[in-house]
Amino acid sequence: MTEDAVFVTFLVTWLTASIRLAGPLLLAALGETFGERSGVLNVGIEGTILLGALAAYVFGLHSGSPWVGLAAAIVVGVLVSLFLAWMYVTICADQVVVGIIFNIFAFGAASYAYRLSKDSVDSTSSLVVMFPNLNIPYLSDIPLIGPVLFSQSIVLYLIVLLVLVSEIVLFRTTFGLNVRAVGENPKAAESAGVSVRFVRYVSVLLSGAGAGAAGGYIVLAQIGLFRETMVVGQGFIALAIVIFGRWRPLYAAFAALAFGAAEALQLSLQLFEFDVPKQLLLSLPYLLTIVAVSGLIGKVAQPAALMQPYKK
Amino acid sequence: MFERRLSPTNSVTAIVLITIVSVVLAFAVSIVLFLPFDPNPIRAYASLFEASFGSARGLGMTLNRAVPLILVGLGTCLAWRSGFGYLGFEGCFLIGAAGAAWFALASPAGSLLGSLPFLVWIVCALAFSFVLGGVWSGGVGVLRSRFGGNEVLISLMANYVAIFIVQYLVSGPMRASGSLPQTPRFPEHTWLPMLISPQWRAHAGILIALAAAGLVWLLLARMRIGYELVVTGLNPVAARYGGIDVGRRYVLAAFLAGGLGAWAGLAEVLGAHHRLLDGLSGGLGFVGIVVALLAKLHPIIVVPAAILYAGLSVGADALQRSSGAPSSIIAILQSLIVLFVIAGDFLRYWRIRLPVWARSK
Repeated sequence: MTEDAVFVTFLVTWLTASIRLAGPLLLAALGETFGERSGVLNVGIEGTILLGALAAYVFGLHSGSPWVGLAAAIVVGVLVSLFLAWMYVTICADQVVVGIIFNIFAFGAASYAYRLSKDSVDSTSSLVVMFPNLNIPYLSDIPLIGPVLFSQSIVLYLIVLLVLVSEIVLFRTTFGLNVRAVGENPKAAESAGVSVRFVRYVSVLLSGAGAGAAGGYIVLAQIGLFRETMVVGQGFIALAIVIFGRWRPLYAAFAALAFGAAEALQLSLQLFEFDVPKQLLLSLPYLLTIVAVSGLIGKVAQPAALMQPYKK
Repeated sequence: MFERRLSPTNSVTAIVLITIVSVVLAFAVSIVLFLPFDPNPIRAYASLFEASFGSARGLGMTLNRAVPLILVGLGTCLAWRSGFGYLGFEGCFLIGAAGAAWFALASPAGSLLGSLPFLVWIVCALAFSFVLGGVWSGGVGVLRSRFGGNEVLISLMANYVAIFIVQYLVSGPMRASGSLPQTPRFPEHTWLPMLISPQWRAHAGILIALAAAGLVWLLLARMRIGYELVVTGLNPVAARYGGIDVGRRYVLAAFLAGGLGAWAGLAEVLGAHHRLLDGLSGGLGFVGIVVALLAKLHPIIVVPAAILYAGLSVGADALQRSSGAPSSIIAILQSLIVLFVIAGDFLRYWRIRLPVWARSK
């Protein structure tokens, strides 16, 4: 292979992987955007992603359909978020504390449930049916752009659609206005007749749905298996993406791409012989996040009531 | 019948009662989890506690397991009561462990460090890893107080960076020859000595942990600087008005908390593993936070809470060997306990008021 051909291969694999890896981060970040806009920092999405992944795996395996798996992941995400929302909104507990403990709980629950389900499944057929890649006719034949943009998994196109829908819902509908009002000044919103509790419940459930779907995506469009150790900070990175994206779905999409690119870099750079330790590349997304939230690149205006429980 | 209070009751009885009920409730709920593996869950619990507290050897293992939990829990008390929501103890643990490992490997018999008496040597090692861990977390404190960074997210991310640093060290510069990514075994004179007798299995780490608990309690309850930290945590605006440099207090709290987290790593490598290896912490940094929450961020109560949690995990390992029940049950149980405590807190907003006809005259 000539130098050019190696470089093009590198570029194609890198960009394709960037977009593919950005998918779950973005899904979780979209939901979390709603949660945080309403004033709830849901740190528990890390654990929710793991439980969503388990549900996607178990249901995907038994039904043979990735759609059933994805639906199960979303349902599980919403169900566990009902508990989280109760703790955040009704009990008014410290949001970070609840999130952290829930993540430990989710890890224990997922590995326990996986152990139980493994006994009922024979290990030979442990791969789930994954979402196929959708080659868009003609467009996918364009060199470079084709394989990167128009030959991705079908879910990814849905995520793009979801970004637009989220942007419209958050900024062009009454519900979106209520979410933002509740996150900025819950007292004022309540006196204007908006139920703070209801809006926050719905927003936390949305963040759970997004996180559950993200877990489903990881299993059904990336890996095809379940491992207790497969969620390593994606939820936390999604939190950073929300901040990086200035609490806007559209910007979050670009932020997610940047993080996906950082994550994909260490996979693609294996094409070249580099003298960089693998661990340095692996820690790139995390270092990027630290820079993003360190306050060094300008102070960002977060929702004014973020992390503040509302007591009537 | 039930009447809402204007502010939650602060009576110690109520808080202790809620905590005890939460623990019992969590145990009761977790019975379900044992059923597929042992039809008699009461027996499962009995053998769990038998394994962790029933023998000198089990008790020693429990104490060893409690050491990092106590130290991380103390770090949590210090940081959180100062209003610094630090979650990076996994990272401090690993950095402290790596520092202690380097220090131990730099002290072979006959070298300058290696010829120091053990007490002097261990004090140097403690100071070295404390500073390393303190700088690791203190940096987060600086970002928070100087630039308004978000310490919750920074510390979560820094944990992963620390994992990769240790992974790099044990697979590159500090790797021992052999197939496993780990450092050579430390020279024997750097190991923490066994307490009482070798059958007991308890190493001197527990002494470090207990001393640290006393020091943290002294700092927070009896010293001026600790008072300033607590005031900063309770109300930073009032603290600033009172002449306390809030930013510096955050950095100090972060530094001390990180140092304590690093000691947890030191005790683990010098006491238990005698080498640095990948996957060392395995969530201890988070369980330690949970322990501190169960202890309501009180440095002395952290000790029994940590021993309870350590006992659970020692017992669970024994149970996994004997009946095949996965030890992940304990992660569920440990988190359920604290979730119940938090949820139970709302009970403090209510009091029972008997209707008039039921009251005694």
